[in-house]
Order: sequence, then structure tokens, then C-alpha cells
Amino acid sequence: MTSPEGSASMTPLLDVRDLQIELVTAHGVVRAVDGVSFTVGRGETVTLIGESGSGKSTTAMGVLGLLPEGLAVLSGSVRIGGRDVVADPGAARAVRGRTVSLIPQDPMTALSPVHTVGRQLGDAIRLRHPGLSRAQARDKGIDLLGQVRITRPETRWKAYPHQFSGGMLQRILIAIALAGDPELLVADEPTSALDATVQASVLDLLMELQERTGIGMLMITHDLGVARLVSDRIHVMKDGRFVESGPAERIVDKPAEPYTRALLAAVPRLGAWDEDETAVPGAAT
Amino acid sequence: MATYLVRRIGQSLLAVFLTLTTVFLLLRLAPGDPAAAYAAPSATAADLARIRAQFGLDEPLIAQYGIFLRDLCTGNLGTSYSFHASAFDVVMDRLPYTITLAVSAIAVTTVVAVPLGVWMARRADTKRELGANVLTIAGQSMPDFWTGVMLLTVFSVLLPVLPASGFTSWNGLVLPTVTVAVLQLALISRLVRREMTTALAAPYTTVARSRGVSERALTWQYGLRNSAVPLVTALGTRFAALLNGVVVVEVVFGWPGVGSLVVRALETRDYPLIQATVLVTATLAILVQLLVDLAYPLFDPRVRLGKAA
Repeated sequence: MTSPEGSASMTPLLDVRDLQIELVTAHGVVRAVDGVSFTVGRGETVTLIGESGSGKSTTAMGVLGLLPEGLAVLSGSVRIGGRDVVADPGAARAVRGRTVSLIPQDPMTALSPVHTVGRQLGDAIRLRHPGLSRAQARDKGIDLLGQVRITRPETRWKAYPHQFSGGMLQRILIAIALAGDPELLVADEPTSALDATVQASVLDLLMELQERTGIGMLMITHDLGVARLVSDRIHVMKDGRFVESGPAERIVDKPAEPYTRALLAAVPRLGAWDEDETAVPGAAT
Repeated sequence: MATYLVRRIGQSLLAVFLTLTTVFLLLRLAPGDPAAAYAAPSATAADLARIRAQFGLDEPLIAQYGIFLRDLCTGNLGTSYSFHASAFDVVMDRLPYTITLAVSAIAVTTVVAVPLGVWMARRADTKRELGANVLTIAGQSMPDFWTGVMLLTVFSVLLPVLPASGFTSWNGLVLPTVTVAVLQLALISRLVRREMTTALAAPYTTVARSRGVSERALTWQYGLRNSAVPLVTALGTRFAALLNGVVVVEVVFGWPGVGSLVVRALETRDYPLIQATVLVTATLAILVQLLVDLAYPLFDPRVRLGKAA
């Protein structure tokens, strides 16, 4: 506990204990996240899956200390690399961009439209490596863009976000998230805003990067196909609580809870139309 | 881009021409007789007729307009009745004072209102922000002659630190500048506040915060840069308006600019002088607007001139 480096093998990268987050609205207080606990270790991908409103994105933003106005952590702890970022907002600022980075939901609005991607990537690199000159940061950034398979990164360094497609922007955002050499990535529905074909390439990229760098990943998704593909462990979330947790294969192959079965059944499949499969226990109609 | 420029300049020339024609007609349709304003009170009807003939006002309206256009093409805007000098030269003598006051007032407005608006956005919906709002709106709501007279009373009479009138030293610029700037503060600071609030709540701000960008950089680099287009538009529009002369402020402070000149020209029905003033100030205002439009791509790379409109 005294040295996060020394106890790395024991201390998980991310350790969330009994996290409760409340939403204050005009109609009263809503418990958006109601006591969830989970960990993410090095090289591990842990997925929170649930429908919209289940509290999964709120959990992710709570982990980063970036809850929007109206939402606040009520109790619990979030330890990133051993530092409790709930108790100490200074620690939250210190770990963002260094220990933990965010891959956002909608790449089209996630970059400042009036700054070049090079400027934003270069700034992210220089935040972590203040000693680098702009030119050195550019070299490192162009290398990063190559790693996320942006072709002709030298010419695209000076381009603005509106000159890229959504899939390319998401890869640029992954490069920006990697600029600070983080140990943990929080991916908040990283492929939801993308076309199906682009989704696969972005997920491939994330898994390849994880294999190479051993980065830990907290994946937020509503898509069981995505969860099944990338996760080591899955937590199924509903109304702010985990209804089922376990290894990915177990959750997918032998779901214990009716809600998980409903989620599984909701995955569209290629093949003949089978009316029986649409009858789902517990699904609101 | 070149096509856009040619089209915009063509539009600008047309706008100036239509403005001049309208002013030419309205002046002559409005009641009042330049000859009577020019002549001594004892002048007889024959004297007035002679003066009218001398100014070319005995011609039919259409002929006067033809002569006006012919002279305009040769760059001749006529002779001022009251100054007995080229109307254009009289306006150009006054113009530097108006430009000085406009530049200084816009500079002070920007230097005060932009940081104030940013501060208000960072403290949105607090009591202190409300206080700043009340103060700036009070400034905007006070009539400029009242603000001017109050400033004169305090800083020239009670504490005689600044000159009351005219432009004898740079100190003379202070009170007119403050009077004009006080009128603009509320508009610009509230615009900056609104744009900054939007920018600071945008997803790209949250994502930038998630990668460790400091609050200072989020505010001044991300927020302000993303607020630049509406800010530049508003400042350009205000600047163009100030170039037309701040009539009341110029009169209160005896400022030798175009605004006080136009008052005198109107009082004496000095048609050539009024027309010259309109030509010069309208051209300047349209030029400023054109420059602002041309500057948009510098502030927002998504703007492509000539593509829209």
C-alpha cells in the first residue's frame, strides 16, 4: 500500500468498493449506482454490461472523477494504483492521463473542433513528458498514430477532427489515450457510435494494444457481442447493481440470472427468423 | 476564395451605393432649406434663390442626382456649404479621431469583458456572478450622456485629474473611452459567458479533462478558442458601429470626431458634408464586416468561405 509500484502484483490497478452514486433531480434523489464492487488487474479486461440507464457509464465516470453536474459519489472507494480518487480529488487529477485514460463514447464530439489532431495529441504527450519539445512530441505522436493504424500520419498531423471519419477519430482518441502511457483504460462504449465493420477494427486494435502493453481495461458496453469478444470478466448491471458477475465464458454460456438470459437473447443473430427466440422472460414489451 | 472575394466586394459596393442614394433622396425629401440655414436671417427671397442656384439646388431632383453621380465617379463629393472646403477632406480630417476612439473603446471592452465573461462562466450561477451581471447591465442601461456627464463631474470637476473636453493630450481619450466601453461590457461579457459555458460543458472538454489537461488550459485554450467565432462577430459589429461615430459621447466630450461633425452638418443642412460622411463611414463599416468574415476560417477551420450562402 505504501508503494504502488512495489505491491503491484497484489494491488489491483483498479479497486472499486461499494461505490454508491446519487443523481439529484428536480423530482428527488435517484440512486444511479447502488453499491458496486469490482477490480481490474494488469492485462485484464473487465466489462460492465447493461442497458441504458443501468448505471454503467455513471460508474465509469465516477471512477475517473468526472461525473457530470447533478451526480455525486455518496460512499465507497475507488482506488487507482492504490490511491483513493474519491476521497482525494487531487489524486483523481493526478492519475488522469497518467495512470488512467478514457476512450469516449462518441468520437465525433470528443475532440476540440478548432484544434488540429496533432495539437491535441501533442499536448497530451507533453502533459506526460513535459521535457519534450513540440517537434519531439510530434515524432512520438506520429509514431502513436501509426500504431493505431492511421495511414500517412505525417500529413494528417495537421488535419482537423472534421476531416476524419468516426472510426479514424476513435483510433486517434485511442492514440491520445495512450499518449500518457496509462496502466488502465476506461472505454465507455467505445464502438457504439461506429458502423459495425468499423467496430470490429477498433476492438481488434484495442485487444492488440492490450496484448502488447499489458494495459488493464474497464469496458462499458450494452453489446454482449462486444463483451464476449474482449472480456475476461463480466459484471451484468441493472438499476445500479450487479445482478450477475463472473468469467466471460461462464456468463455467456451458462447465465444464471433471467436478466442476463434476456440480454443474451437480445443479441441479433444471422439466420432464419425464429419467433420462439423473441419470447424473452422479464423483457418489458 | 477569389470568387467569394469578388462577390463580397461587389455586394459591398452595391450596399454603399444604395445607402448613398437613400440618404441623397431622404435629405431632399425631408423638410428644411439649406439656403435658409446658410443665409443670414435678414436674407430676402431673392438672396435665397441665388444661394440655391449657387449650390445647384434649383435643378430638378433627378438632375441633382445625375450631377451627384457624375461627380461621385470622378471622386468629387462636393463642397461643404459651411466649411467652404471639400466635404471629403472635412470628413477625413475628423476621421482619425473617430477611429482612435473606436479602437480604444473596443480594446478596453475586449480587455475587460472577455476575462470577465470567462470568470462568470467559471462561477456560473453563483451570487458573485449575479453581482457582475447586475453591474454590467446597469452600465449598459445608463444613457451614455448621463454616464458621460457623471464621469466628467467626478474626474474633471470634483477630482480634476482628466480633461473635460476635446483632444489636447492622450488623457483626453480616457473618459470618452470609458463611457463607450461601459455600454458594451454587458453585451460582450454575457456573450463570452454563454459561449464559454457551452464549451466547458462540451464532451471534448470532459475528454480533455480525462487526459489530465489542466483547468487553466481547458478554459483559455479549449474554451475560449471554441468561443472565438461569435466573440469576433460581436466585437466586429460593435467596432463597425463605433466607426459611424458615437454621436452623443462625442458631443458631451467635445470630441472632434465624425459623430459631432454629422450633428453640425445636419443642423446646417450641409448636404455634401452629410453625403461625404455617410460614404466614408458606410464604407468603413462594410470593410470591417468584410474583414471579420474573411477572418472566420482563422478561428474555425470548419468554415469554408464561398461554400455557404
